Amino acid sequence: MEIKAFMKEVSSVKGVTKVGLVRNNVVKCNLDKEGSKDFFVKLKDDFGFEHCSLITAIDNQPQFELVYHFSAINGSVFVKDSSAAVMAEIHIFLDRDTPTVESISDLWFGANWHEREAFDLMGIYFIGHPDLRRVLLPEGFAGHPLRKDYVYEIHEEEW
Amino acid sequence: MDMSSKRIKGNANLRRGLGSKTTDSDKIMEDPPAGDWLALRSDQLLKWIDDAVYNAAETTGMREVVDRVTRPIFNYAQRFSPHPLHFGIMCCAIEMGQASAPDHDIDRLGLVYRSSPRQCDVLIVNGPVCEKLRPKLKTLYEQMPEPKWVIAMGECAISGGPYWDSYSVVAGADTFMPVDVYIPGCPVRPEALMHGFLTLQKKIREKEPGMFLRR
Repeated sequence: MEIKAFMKEVSSVKGVTKVGLVRNNVVKCNLDKEGSKDFFVKLKDDFGFEHCSLITAIDNQPQFELVYHFSAINGSVFVKDSSAAVMAEIHIFLDRDTPTVESISDLWFGANWHEREAFDLMGIYFIGHPDLRRVLLPEGFAGHPLRKDYVYEIHEEEW
Repeated sequence: MDMSSKRIKGNANLRRGLGSKTTDSDKIMEDPPAGDWLALRSDQLLKWIDDAVYNAAETTGMREVVDRVTRPIFNYAQRFSPHPLHFGIMCCAIEMGQASAPDHDIDRLGLVYRSSPRQCDVLIVNGPVCEKLRPKLKTLYEQMPEPKWVIAMGECAISGGPYWDSYSVVAGADTFMPVDVYIPGCPVRPEALMHGFLTLQKKIREKEPGMFLRR
């Protein structure tokens, strides 16, 4: 599937807005939180994005922004006259009060630890994740330190 | 039947160190004597060593003599074979590797990196210690046999360095273990690491821990 046709098909899916190109082989779009799992299933099974490169979270107060990067290494989506693999960059915006989203670790197994990291440092709760524990920080750590409103109180005193 | 079961229970508590509830001493059953005459327990062995070797050497004055004869040799051996643990945390570990490369051949000071803490004398903390690493590093330190020394290599190990205000980095290795030598630098150059080991040698020579029958 050529990348223009892919963009046209993606923009017709329910919940997808602002489809555009970042570079000539990177498609960017926003996605609603509700029904995001259906879109991810479609992205994997119909369009053939078989690799989850990255899941990360951004705290642009007051809301959270989740960024997913998927790659179509097998060439099911391609750029004309180019051998570069097509990437899809998907943004999901979450409320600060309910930072929950459906887990995709059953579709892409590599997403498991990415989601654990986003939970660990940013406090995004992935519903349906098989093992949502902290990855980087020790067990029993209080809070999620990469949130902008996180306060670390130990080093408050002057030197 | 009832009395005997009570006795055994009290004895088990006593052996576990929980303390017996009963104050009556004849109710407490003693340990079976097999441990005393059949095998030599480790504390008995240590007591025997104390009696037979240490006290005998002390009273006859042999300890002073042997000390004076062997101390320089032991000290020399310790000084020129400080085996560090082959343990790298962050970029200072690259400099540690460079120090043992042919340019700065640190093996000539007797440094042989060992991979097991049981065979080591020196622990080089070469990087920031985060909260998750701290109990493991403490375990490594405690697994090393005496005498042992710790070198804090680089700013991160000295004070936390650029991460001193972090949510997960410990502000210095000396907050939880005794540190002998501090080597500043970010990262530490191999020459500075060499100088740190020379400083450690100086410290060993001045403290002279290489004694016969040290207690």
